[in-house]
Amino acid sequence: MKKIKKQDIAKLLSQWQKDFTVFVPSKESGTAEMAVWDGKDAGFLDWYRNTVVPPKANFLQNMEKLFGFRKEGGSFKLETPPPETRKQLIFGIRPCDARAIAIIDMVFKDAYEDKYYLSRRQNSLLIGMGCVKPYDSCFCTSLGLGPAEAADVDIMLTDTGDEYLIEEITAKGKELLAKTSGAETASQTDENKAVAVKQAAYNKVTRKIDTKQIKQRLPDAFENKEFWEGVSAKCVSCGICTFLCPTCYCFDINDEMLKGDGARYRNWDSCSFPVYTKMPAENPREEKWKRVRQKVNHKYDFYPRLFNVIACTGCGRCIRQCPVNWDITQTLSGLPAGAPVTEKK
Amino acid sequence: MTSKIEQKLRSVARELLEQGKVGTIVGYEAGSLKFTNTPLITKDKEAADRLVINPFIINNLSVFLKDIGGKVGVVAKGCDIRSIVSLIQDKQLARENVVIIGVPCAGIIDLDKIEKLMGKDRDELDDIVRENDKVIVTVQRSKKEYPAKDVLIDSCLACDQPKIKEYDILLDEEATVVCDDEASRSLIKKLEAMPPAQRWEFWKSQFERCIRCYACRQVCPACYCKRCFVEETEPAWISPLPKWQDNLIFQVTRMMHVAGRCTDCGACERACPVGIPLHSLSKKMAEIVQELFEYQAGTDKDALPLMAAYESKEAEDLIR
Repeated sequence: MKKIKKQDIAKLLSQWQKDFTVFVPSKESGTAEMAVWDGKDAGFLDWYRNTVVPPKANFLQNMEKLFGFRKEGGSFKLETPPPETRKQLIFGIRPCDARAIAIIDMVFKDAYEDKYYLSRRQNSLLIGMGCVKPYDSCFCTSLGLGPAEAADVDIMLTDTGDEYLIEEITAKGKELLAKTSGAETASQTDENKAVAVKQAAYNKVTRKIDTKQIKQRLPDAFENKEFWEGVSAKCVSCGICTFLCPTCYCFDINDEMLKGDGARYRNWDSCSFPVYTKMPAENPREEKWKRVRQKVNHKYDFYPRLFNVIACTGCGRCIRQCPVNWDITQTLSGLPAGAPVTEKK
Repeated sequence: MTSKIEQKLRSVARELLEQGKVGTIVGYEAGSLKFTNTPLITKDKEAADRLVINPFIINNLSVFLKDIGGKVGVVAKGCDIRSIVSLIQDKQLARENVVIIGVPCAGIIDLDKIEKLMGKDRDELDDIVRENDKVIVTVQRSKKEYPAKDVLIDSCLACDQPKIKEYDILLDEEATVVCDDEASRSLIKKLEAMPPAQRWEFWKSQFERCIRCYACRQVCPACYCKRCFVEETEPAWISPLPKWQDNLIFQVTRMMHVAGRCTDCGACERACPVGIPLHSLSKKMAEIVQELFEYQAGTDKDALPLMAAYESKEAEDLIR
């Protein structure tokens, strides 16, 4: 294992900038998100706990052009963009967000392989950074990970005070580190320090859910209209919790054309919006309680059935950013016990 | 600790439910995060004991009224009451179906401002207390004192409804509001001083980060359209893609559409997850409405809505 002084992080980033577009936590745009490093310093280390916009945006962009088309005679000529070759390095991704990307990988490389998403994935390196100050809204430790989880990144950094301990996790990470200068070899004392930091961080995550109980109760509650109406009453049906969720991957497809020239785009969509399921004849989720039920079930029931993993990593953004403090952990903890409720006809 | 005003609120709410004067109570209860409250919408009289009043009741609860059937008792600050009055003027709500429980409000504390001043996030702070024209923040036993006008929400600084006019039950005497219109419009002043090209650049940079979550619209009591123009597809007035131009058109159109109904309660700005300064649009718009029509949204339930009335003396140069 290696280590690096905090003041030398910028030197590290400068080296990597030669081969990668380096993304770091930034507030430059007015909100915290992963943005291209300005090449100056690592000032973000002073404030960074997590970004508002999750790093999923680096893979599933909030808006992306899929292809262009041009009207030629009676038909259209397609202009497919060349595959994404830009190499990106995401520095400082939190364990919850890295796990979230691993979770949505399953969708994008399922029966249909999404080349747009996957090419970005293949051309990316994730440099993880363990949390030392989890938010009061974080609940990652209930979801099979923790603030120091390193399984989903290429290189993992642990904040030991004035330095970061550097762990190479994947072959890609090892390769990058081999050609990086400035990192020293870590001593046993450094490693011990990191172990203590990780344990302390783990203990700071106090918000808990019981996934076993949820697995049992959620399907039984599906037809429980009274329960879902109750928990959804204060939801305002905005898209914050889904757009900012690192595992929400729903998108819409839109064509734009002007004077015979056009393009097909995809953009984030949200099951919180009534129009999401609007069809000519009917809307199966016109009512708010059905949309809230969908969101919770997709994450905690449908996704596990399909991919054997809960589509939530406990990052807490949906709780922190919600304008009415709708808290998914309260809904999940409040699931009624007992026999399944069947829909009254 | 339950304050006097909370005790009164709880007994009032319980009584309203018990006596069947309302079917539902809409108020605030303690949220799941520090310094955070959450709307409480309940038919259960026992739940009345969970109602709270504190300087962090940020939500404009009037947004929920149109979806709740029957008679509703609603906890409302002065600005929220203006929204309710506006809804009554627009015939979205019948006065007899709402029992307004008025809360004299001394201004809501802006946690974003406190975070900036303290250099710490809200969950790292131990206590925030309002004492008249001061706000005291405690972190690890050390106290920091700020003038209230530095840490109140911008909309609150421009509050002119400290004395609640329209109510059924008033929980307390008038509250002392720390008004500072200059501070409330500090960004507007900067924007007004900019040449148009620079102002355009400013708004371009703001709307570039809009993710089109529509939280601003969803928390807005005046945004009650069953179908918003952004969801129209034939014709598609704007693109559903979050391009800055379309994001800007969405917000400008929304603001124009709520002109004369928007009370500048600031809910849209508080909801925005990417921090777009929407108060500078809503307040400026309210100022223009006042200047052109001598009209203030939601102050007279018997007045015709601004856009439903015309007087020959009205300014004709409103499009400029």
